[in-house]
Amino acid sequence: MSRKEKLKRKKSSIKTTFFLAYKNLIASKKTLVIITGVLALSFLSITFFAAIIDGLGYSFEEKSIQTLNGHLLIEPTNDETYIYNSENLIKKIRRLDGVEGVSPRISTSATMQVKDTILASQIYFINPTEEKTATIILDSTIEGTTLTKNDLNSIYIGTNLVEKYANIDDKTKKVDINAGDIIKLKFNNGYEGEFKIKGIYKTGSSFSDGYIFMNEKNYEKIYNISPTFASSILVRLPERGLEEEYIYKLREIGVSNEINPWYTKISKIKQFTASLQITNKITGLIGLLTTFATIYIIIFINVMTKRKQIGILKAIGIKKEIVLGSYVIQSLVYGILGVIAGLLVMKIMMLYFASHPLKMPIGDVYPVLDSVKISIACISIIISALLAGYFPSKKAAEENILDAIFGG
Amino acid sequence: MENKKIIINKKIEPIIKAEHLVRIYDNGIIKTIALKDISLTINKGEFVAIMGPSGSGKSTILHQLGLLDNPTKGNLIIDKENVLNLTEEKRTRFRLEKLGYVFQSYNLIPELSALENVYVTAMALGKEKQEYLDLGTEVLKKVGLSDRINHMPSELSGGQQQRVSIARALVNNPKILFADEPTANLDRDSSNNIITLFRELNKNYGQTIVMVTHELEEGLKADRIIWVKDGLIDKNKKNKK
Repeated sequence: MSRKEKLKRKKSSIKTTFFLAYKNLIASKKTLVIITGVLALSFLSITFFAAIIDGLGYSFEEKSIQTLNGHLLIEPTNDETYIYNSENLIKKIRRLDGVEGVSPRISTSATMQVKDTILASQIYFINPTEEKTATIILDSTIEGTTLTKNDLNSIYIGTNLVEKYANIDDKTKKVDINAGDIIKLKFNNGYEGEFKIKGIYKTGSSFSDGYIFMNEKNYEKIYNISPTFASSILVRLPERGLEEEYIYKLREIGVSNEINPWYTKISKIKQFTASLQITNKITGLIGLLTTFATIYIIIFINVMTKRKQIGILKAIGIKKEIVLGSYVIQSLVYGILGVIAGLLVMKIMMLYFASHPLKMPIGDVYPVLDSVKISIACISIIISALLAGYFPSKKAAEENILDAIFGG
Repeated sequence: MENKKIIINKKIEPIIKAEHLVRIYDNGIIKTIALKDISLTINKGEFVAIMGPSGSGKSTILHQLGLLDNPTKGNLIIDKENVLNLTEEKRTRFRLEKLGYVFQSYNLIPELSALENVYVTAMALGKEKQEYLDLGTEVLKKVGLSDRINHMPSELSGGQQQRVSIARALVNNPKILFADEPTANLDRDSSNNIITLFRELNKNYGQTIVMVTHELEEGLKADRIIWVKDGLIDKNKKNKK
């Protein structure tokens, strides 16, 4: 056989394969819809739980960065209580290219007395202007107004300390206050004073909403000392992933204190989310196997009902490779359409959850789509569909012609 | 005289030569001898009917001659080729290029229209689009279905479906047309039409036809009847014209 003839035969085989696949697909619209639907659901079962877990982890991390730690948290070395000469340090840090915000905080504790309730709380003295560059705390007001640079004798309190914002099942001690109320605070040095509740904030993260913030200008009055030091300095970077690079840069400009990237501050939570990810991978694998089995059964039934047809095609001289190819193409189309449908439904669900986030103790959780995981899910579904289509089709295509036609 | 001789030679040229075909079905428990020893010759341009009682082996003969099954023993030459030595791929190609089939229950592909059912084998053979469309249309016209080319099988009567099946068998201009009880599912009129069509194809186009039938009336319209009984050829008799 000449090369030209071989090429011609190959071309006609491919053409016939696609022709039969196309005709089968458009003729069996119900089958197409059912299989596509099952594949779409399988795709969602693999990806959506993963997206929630990722969202849970991501929300926690983001809240930790935005409210408690920044991307980098500079802290005193082990033998020190404070970072001294912090003003100079902050100036240097701020001059670093890419640093978006720097906020020093002085941490102390106090007890507040409201009516008969006495409640201890951690207090952060902040520079409101600088805090706004580094965290979202001051933008999270839900009652009253936020702190500003000239506020004195005012506090900004998190909802976790306020009775009226407590969940029904939350039995921890809280105070009955409203924005505008005056309360008594007693600091750890014995200083007692009255402060106005300027605002109540809620970041959505229960880990961040249990503090009291005050303008640093109050510190001198309470402790009789001008604060040229800080308990911690939060540094905000343009995005995640730059932490190591900026630690190096900070070391270069002479920062000798502890510099902790955000992820080391939440290692326990990271451990927890990592465990969830393992669970996630196991359920994903089980989901994938279930998907494979489901697709296999559906395509197997589909192919078996066309057993006679396959026999006829072979009897009239259609190569078994064409028959097999046409069913594999159908499976591929099912897989691709299933993935597209799954992605569409996923997109709709993402839009829904963007406006209706899941309410969790760490705050609002939005599902996060990880492009690598989505790609793996897409490829897995398509490969599952292909394999699930290939094996029953191969079996049917290799069957004896007469058995296929007459049901032997 | 010379011309006449050529014609005579053409008429007696064997296209199928089967020698001592044996077919034993063995399911591991029971061995069933369907064909005991079948030897026959069918000439080019002949219209042969295979007849016999149920279970006599007539369809089995057709399946062996049509390369739909493999004999347990014997030799089979079709169009000068020892077809039992062919690989599966070559047998499939042989069926596509040289053989046409008409089944008892039409066996059309339900997802394809009449025209598509017909031209799918021409497409697989490597014909260009216009060529297989023209061929399909032409052959459907030949079987009297030019007004039904875009109908789906479910929209056609039994007789019409069998005509489509015949058109499908003819589209690649096969050397031999095999028909396995092609009228068994049809009413009398449709049956007569199909047999008349076979007769015309044979007479006008020299189409070699091997047909299995139960109906003597149909067998008598062939050139010859091969009678089969208990897996053996009982009689091999030419019909009177």
